[in-house]
Amino acid sequence: MPIGRAVWLLAGFLAVAGVASAQTFVWPQKWTVAKPSEVKRGGTLRNYTLSDFRTFNPFLTAEAGSVPEIISGDYGLVRRDPTTGDWIPYMAESFTVSPNKLDITFKIRRGMKWSDGRPITADDWVMTWRIHTDKAVGSNSYDSFFLDGKPIVVRKLDDYTLRISYPKTDAEAFAVASFTPWPAHIFGPVYQREGAEGIKKMWTLNERPGNIVSGGPWLIESYRPGERLVLKRNPAFGEWNKDEAGNPLPYLDRYEIRIVKDVNAALAEFLAGNIDVFAPSTVDHISQIRQAIQQGRLDATLKLNASPVASNQFMVFNWNKASDPFKQSLFRSDKFRKAMSHLVNRQAVIDIVYGGLGTPMYTSVYPVFTQWLNPKVPKYEYNPQQAAKLLAELGFTRKDREGYLVDARGRRLEFNLATNAGNNQREQIAKLFVDEAKKVGVKVNFQAIDFNTLVGQLLSSGPDRPFDAIIIGLTGGGLDWPFGSNVVPCKGNLHMWNKSGQCLDPRETQLDALYSRGRTELDFKKRVEIGYRMQEIEAQLLPIIYIAGPNYHPAWNNRLGGEHPDAIISSIWGARELELTFIKK
Amino acid sequence: MTAYILRRILYLVPTFFGATFLAFLIIQMAPGDYLTQLELDPKVTPETIARLRNQFGLDRPFHEQYLLWMHNLLHLNLGYSFAYQAPVLEIVWPRVLNSMVLVVPSTILLFLIAVPVGVYGALRQYSLGDRVVSFLAYLGLAIPNFFLALILMYLVLQVYFRTGVMVFPVSGMTSSGFEQFSFWQKVVDVAWHAVLPILVLTTSDIAGFSRVMRGQMLEVLTQDYIRTARAKGLAERVVVYKHALRNAVIPFVANIGGILPTLISGAGLVEVVMAWPGITPLLLDAISQQDLYVVAGFLTMGLVLLMIGNLLSDLLLAWVDPRIRYE
Repeated sequence: MPIGRAVWLLAGFLAVAGVASAQTFVWPQKWTVAKPSEVKRGGTLRNYTLSDFRTFNPFLTAEAGSVPEIISGDYGLVRRDPTTGDWIPYMAESFTVSPNKLDITFKIRRGMKWSDGRPITADDWVMTWRIHTDKAVGSNSYDSFFLDGKPIVVRKLDDYTLRISYPKTDAEAFAVASFTPWPAHIFGPVYQREGAEGIKKMWTLNERPGNIVSGGPWLIESYRPGERLVLKRNPAFGEWNKDEAGNPLPYLDRYEIRIVKDVNAALAEFLAGNIDVFAPSTVDHISQIRQAIQQGRLDATLKLNASPVASNQFMVFNWNKASDPFKQSLFRSDKFRKAMSHLVNRQAVIDIVYGGLGTPMYTSVYPVFTQWLNPKVPKYEYNPQQAAKLLAELGFTRKDREGYLVDARGRRLEFNLATNAGNNQREQIAKLFVDEAKKVGVKVNFQAIDFNTLVGQLLSSGPDRPFDAIIIGLTGGGLDWPFGSNVVPCKGNLHMWNKSGQCLDPRETQLDALYSRGRTELDFKKRVEIGYRMQEIEAQLLPIIYIAGPNYHPAWNNRLGGEHPDAIISSIWGARELELTFIKK
Repeated sequence: MTAYILRRILYLVPTFFGATFLAFLIIQMAPGDYLTQLELDPKVTPETIARLRNQFGLDRPFHEQYLLWMHNLLHLNLGYSFAYQAPVLEIVWPRVLNSMVLVVPSTILLFLIAVPVGVYGALRQYSLGDRVVSFLAYLGLAIPNFFLALILMYLVLQVYFRTGVMVFPVSGMTSSGFEQFSFWQKVVDVAWHAVLPILVLTTSDIAGFSRVMRGQMLEVLTQDYIRTARAKGLAERVVVYKHALRNAVIPFVANIGGILPTLISGAGLVEVVMAWPGITPLLLDAISQQDLYVVAGFLTMGLVLLMIGNLLSDLLLAWVDPRIRYE
């Protein structure tokens, strides 16, 4: 009997251990350069932000770098593996996709707890979804829960099973499913009692930090308005997030974020060793950091040209100019737009505007999305002779007394170009273009105007819109499907070149159709193929002339350890996982 | 006396409505509104923007927005910030207090230094001391605040690089780990951080102030009653401080009303450059984002203080200057 009893006990122990291991998410070793044996616990990472925090309320803010995003770690049921870009189960233990691909069922990891000790269950996701999709709340995430105006539905099957149903197949299904849950036991009762108005009053910056409940790596320790946010480790998070040696994460005791309005002050603090991480964006800042490192004043690492950034600068021509048929036909001609692309000296832009540290762009896909970038796309590179030739084919063969091209009827090749005042980089790009255009005889009248006025012009709609050409940039766009739902479809609000409300060029119609096909294609390879095809059409149609973007150069003080391996340091994945970062000294 | 005060207060009413109306009008005349930024976000649909515009009341006609705001104002409600989704006063007040840490000592220092410097310059006109002080004053006037701040930050950093000693902090208001400090450590820490910004603020103000003081004093010293006082055989000290100075400061007393709103209006760009969590960075953000009620609410607070200040300085003036009588 004693033996039998011992065996039974052992079996029982194994069963418990089995459950415990199913509960934890093990952070893969390949996400960091540090081995678990070198890691030290404790210490504070000191970061900064240029813009002040607005609220602690997760339903009123969606900006990157907001407090809810930071304390939650921005995680959900699934997250991406930075080494592959694939979605992997995170707060979910596993998921299954239904045969018709319209439902995804998630098994939620057991044993996860909120910082106040309550378990994290399916109810939390359902309540979070319900509040985000209440129009009266005004959540910025509202639109992400709808596909073509039809709702995506989140349903609880039991406490640890959740089903998300999509109105149609969606390439970005997992991105939608990765939304961060918030505690239903905190928000639910208020929402039931007072509705949206009650939610809006919760978790303002004046809320006592102790009342903010987190399911992520951090808790708020203190917040001083306009000055500093101090976060401390959430022990409940460490119970189910471990490194490969089984140590609870994060390693850090505290994470401090200073609010520094002026980037020069932030640089000074980084040089003085008072801030641990900094990503210089101008040549001047880079050379100051480099100098300090070389002269031994600062023990830091600078990764120059780690990757391009996920943003772009481009020039767009207005196809809707009913009041000026001459310009309208010009702007609608792809030959004209190709000529203009030949006049954009992208290398000069990189050298002068980005100090030699930038990347030229030819399609709507950001160069950092390497999996998506079609390398065979035709490029209309800087080539003034070719531009002159194309313009001659359009009838601009003679020059007038001032040296500008005119057509057979004596109409001068002249248009206005605008960008937003105060953006030095865009103004420089515009001036470079004006000079190049003048050399071949195109008169470009550049004007820097107020940002809001510019946006008003760009987004105006109808047959006659008030601008000729605009230089501006967009950020955003995902790894699952990098084309903008507002940009590509002809009815899209950001279909900036043509806002007549209908496709004017058959290739626009093609792009519109391919966009919808790609958005609903679940097979990644097939989706990339569609993306390649779209980039080819874009390159021929050239509705937008892409110019260039700066590169990402992360720098950090060498008291930090646990950064990403070089291969995954990029503007998408950043330089490190905060959870795996530790203080060496 | 009472009638005089009552009349002055009565004058303030139309001033208040006129000024708030103008403030509101000017903000509204700028193109676009708070939601224009959002329109370039590829993830946000136009319907969402229209809905938010409706919730914020930004789609209503101008006069309706103004009347609603005025109605709230008269109930002592400054309105709601779009960006923070919180009442304006709640956001603005802690930042005003932070600014006061700089502005109050700097104002006191200003009077303590500028008045004697100006008097000295007037009494020893064209002496070596006067020339040196004048030169420094012109230098102070010529260097913009934010630039002086940058220079000081650079110097502090260079000293740190060479000696390893951080004489004063580069920027900010408190050190890392401030929350764990004892009360006195906190006071010392904030004071240590405040030295450089206060220095920057005071330097440029002293320059202008002491020049005006010197000019005033010079003018008064040539008056007949000063010659009379001297002829009476009064001590020079009495002539200067009792007869001359008292008259020379009258224009400053008239301006004391202007000091009240400056107490809340912050220390200007120094706060931005040196990362001081005062009101200026917040206000600049609010203006560039067109966070309407933060800007309008703040202007109104300044306006009310200016009106109170002016009333006070009128009363003070009557007290200092016996030539003024209430009619």
